[in-house]
Amino acid sequence: MSSKEQISKAVSLLLSSPPGEVDDVFNDIRGIVNDDDALQEQIEPVLAESNMQQFLVVDVPDRESKVLITPYNQIEEGRYLDPNTQAVFAFDHLRRVASDPQDHEDSSEDDGSKKALRAALQQELNTYVEAHYPEGAASVFVHEGSLVSCIVSNKFSPNNYWNGSWRAVWSFNAETGQLNGSIKVKVHYFEDGNVQLDTQSDFATDVPGSPQPADSKSMARKVAKLIKGYEAEFQQGVNDGYRQLSEKTFKGLRRTLPVTRSKIDWEKIANYKLGGELANAEN
Amino acid sequence: MTEYEENEQQMDCALDLMRRLPPQNVEENLVTLLEIMPELTEDLLSAVDQPLKLRQDAKEGKEYLACDYNRDGDSYRSPWSNEYDPPLVDGNVPSDRLRKLEVAANEAFSTYKELYYEGGVSSVYLWDMDDSFAGVVLIKKVNDGTVRSKGSWDSIHVIEVLEKGRQAHYKLTSTVMLYTVASAAKGDRLNEINLSGSLTRQDERELPVDDSNAHIVNIGRMVEDIEFKMRNALQEVYFGKTHDIVNSLRSATDLNEAKNRERLQRDLFGQLKNRSE
Repeated sequence: MSSKEQISKAVSLLLSSPPGEVDDVFNDIRGIVNDDDALQEQIEPVLAESNMQQFLVVDVPDRESKVLITPYNQIEEGRYLDPNTQAVFAFDHLRRVASDPQDHEDSSEDDGSKKALRAALQQELNTYVEAHYPEGAASVFVHEGSLVSCIVSNKFSPNNYWNGSWRAVWSFNAETGQLNGSIKVKVHYFEDGNVQLDTQSDFATDVPGSPQPADSKSMARKVAKLIKGYEAEFQQGVNDGYRQLSEKTFKGLRRTLPVTRSKIDWEKIANYKLGGELANAEN
Repeated sequence: MTEYEENEQQMDCALDLMRRLPPQNVEENLVTLLEIMPELTEDLLSAVDQPLKLRQDAKEGKEYLACDYNRDGDSYRSPWSNEYDPPLVDGNVPSDRLRKLEVAANEAFSTYKELYYEGGVSSVYLWDMDDSFAGVVLIKKVNDGTVRSKGSWDSIHVIEVLEKGRQAHYKLTSTVMLYTVASAAKGDRLNEINLSGSLTRQDERELPVDDSNAHIVNIGRMVEDIEFKMRNALQEVYFGKTHDIVNSLRSATDLNEAKNRERLQRDLFGQLKNRSE
């Protein structure tokens, strides 16, 4: 081992990690590369991308607040904003610890209406997430003029050979009234095998009554209601898809038993064919 | 670390990685590993199961399955004509005795495949070992089906046979690779669900070999039994377990309502209890 290019290829596999298994995949890559110094040079940005992709939930130091690590609240390299406490903190992507909280100096030209809407939407989503995600978390950010809401719900149970994650991103543009969303669900089951569910769906809609000025509370309520509706519909769609796969697709591949409903008479099959073969050989 | 130790460690890590990375991309992931560790190409190709490839035996006009077990260099041997494509002058072929068994096994498993899969392609390959033999039973069924769903099933049964007089010891390692996709369109939205993966199981048996076709009968029963079990496991694991996990990530019903209902029931129960006292 190995050229820079080869190490970069190995490192990029980290981004395909199943939920909750980034550390295991990292250890495998480390064993394959077998050169910690060379690995060190390339791993940092990929770990950062991976943590942001997974919507890691972190405790903001000294603030009694939790926030998601995402591309939407990265203020500068390695520093993230918690909009609920207006703290900016450093995040170590390798050790996954936050440190050095500072008060955020907001330089945006917002007249305060976006901040109010963000706070209202955060509150609506907190209520929604608490009601539907046993272990969920949500963060709402102002990002490039839009309100970006990220929802994550993970369940990791490696001792029982499974891990799962649900991630959703919703982007609301208050000026155009457009709401765009994307939900991804991944499940890994790995007892004596490797079975994975991979499903994703994208949504786009107009929020009724926008972009006319409305008070932030009622606008936030409308957006949250749409998000809730789409997520419920998506979940129903996944359940329907499972029925389709189980009742049609799987059954169409292999029968449980032959049409006769009994197992095969191997003596008969083997004798018939081998007999024919031997007869031919003797002739 | 010696070069041998380094290769051992790399193989272990590569195999662990393949057990974790999405089975939907098994071929791409394997290509990446080969690019990273070209010196382990042969080891990786024989250790990592990939979806079976369909090939055409032009001479016999029949399809057969290609995998690492019937590969010699860049050529693959057909179980029907016993010839390599592209042609090889000195390609590995089974001994005459084993080839006879191979021909019969291919016929038998072709019948098995029709009865259980109602289509698809099967191939059996046998090879000589020092004082015994080994083989692989391959079955592939693809269902292009409808726009709404498609799927494929690949069975790879590797069998090692140790002959001991009128008895034989069989060691079976079976892998089933399943690929299923369902898509549902609603309005302009498309939901696609991809549920794929592989399971591996093993079985060992000591069985009598009292006539010439006994090997086929014994291997046939073992393959039939293990596929029966694996199909059930797949239905439970693929469809049961992963489905439950999805619905545990998000609750379709309001968790607060459920909590309120519980509280209400407790209160009601308390009141009834007080009244009856």
